[in-house]
Amino acid sequence: MNDDNVGSNFERRTKRAFDDSVAALDAATRSKLTQARHRALEEQASARDRGWRSSLVPAGTVAATALVAFLVVWQVTPPVPGPQETASLNDLEILLGEEDLQMLDEEIEFYGWLEEQPEFANVDSVG
Amino acid sequence: MACIDRWKSLDVMANAKPRSGEVGLALSIAQREASLETEGALIGALIEAFLREVEARAYRIAVMQIRDRHEALDIVQDAMIRLVRGYANRPREEWAPLFYRILQNRIRDVQRRRAVRSRFVSFFGGTASEEEHDPLAEAPAPRGDNPLEQVTADDAMRALERALAQLPGRQREAFMLRNFEGLDVAATATAMGCTEGSVKTHYSRAVHRLREVLKEHGEEHWNE
Repeated sequence: MNDDNVGSNFERRTKRAFDDSVAALDAATRSKLTQARHRALEEQASARDRGWRSSLVPAGTVAATALVAFLVVWQVTPPVPGPQETASLNDLEILLGEEDLQMLDEEIEFYGWLEEQPEFANVDSVG
Repeated sequence: MACIDRWKSLDVMANAKPRSGEVGLALSIAQREASLETEGALIGALIEAFLREVEARAYRIAVMQIRDRHEALDIVQDAMIRLVRGYANRPREEWAPLFYRILQNRIRDVQRRRAVRSRFVSFFGGTASEEEHDPLAEAPAPRGDNPLEQVTADDAMRALERALAQLPGRQREAFMLRNFEGLDVAATATAMGCTEGSVKTHYSRAVHRLREVLKEHGEEHWNE
């Protein structure tokens, strides 16, 4: 019998002694171990529940972000003006234009003369 | 399984006809929920089977190292909870080494705490007699099938425990994991947090030393 074989037998004996001692555990200890296992599994069930809820968080975050982005863009973008509003703004620009006012001041005598001309007066009466 | 049937029916509904965005989203969420439920239930069943298989052995190993049944129960429960909480989604073949690693870490924590407490008590001139090992308290209950055979088995295990108590901690761990738990070298290395070479060395030395100690105590039959 070589040394390795003795070692193998020895290891089998120690293993059997341990297995026997496990099999000999009393009912009260086994019951406590069962309770401990159930507590651990309850933990797993609640962790699973938390996991499912947490998987909704990214989807909710994306939806909320999209909503906020939409509201921000909607608030910041200036409204497209209507035709009437556009005309008023153009008139105002013309009236406030510095160059145009200067031109009016310089050529006012010309416009006065032009109004006195008979051919232009006829045009106005026809219109 | 009911969850799988539910998932299949949702899949049929999802592919049955074109649908609006809201209905599609609701179905996707329901499918995802059913899929997670199925996966979770399957993992739950597998991990329960695993814990049922190892709990008594883990408890005996903890008792042998801690010498306190209540504390050993707490340690085993804590190891179960930590495994379930942190590693349930890992591959099944990793559960055993991870579980025993957690268990051994907890056992070492308790041993360190006791050592500190013992030093503290002895510094102030007290005794730590409550920490002493009580062999009768640790003795497993008789099975009742064959009393004489049972007494012999208990004696043998007590002798083995005494011999194990004389080993260095790492050798004792390697022996328990390899011999009692039947973990292979790689799994034992993971459980002990060391290399496979170290496991082989620790285990070989442990076997050698155990045989010597048992022989010294007149336990010749172990080596026959």
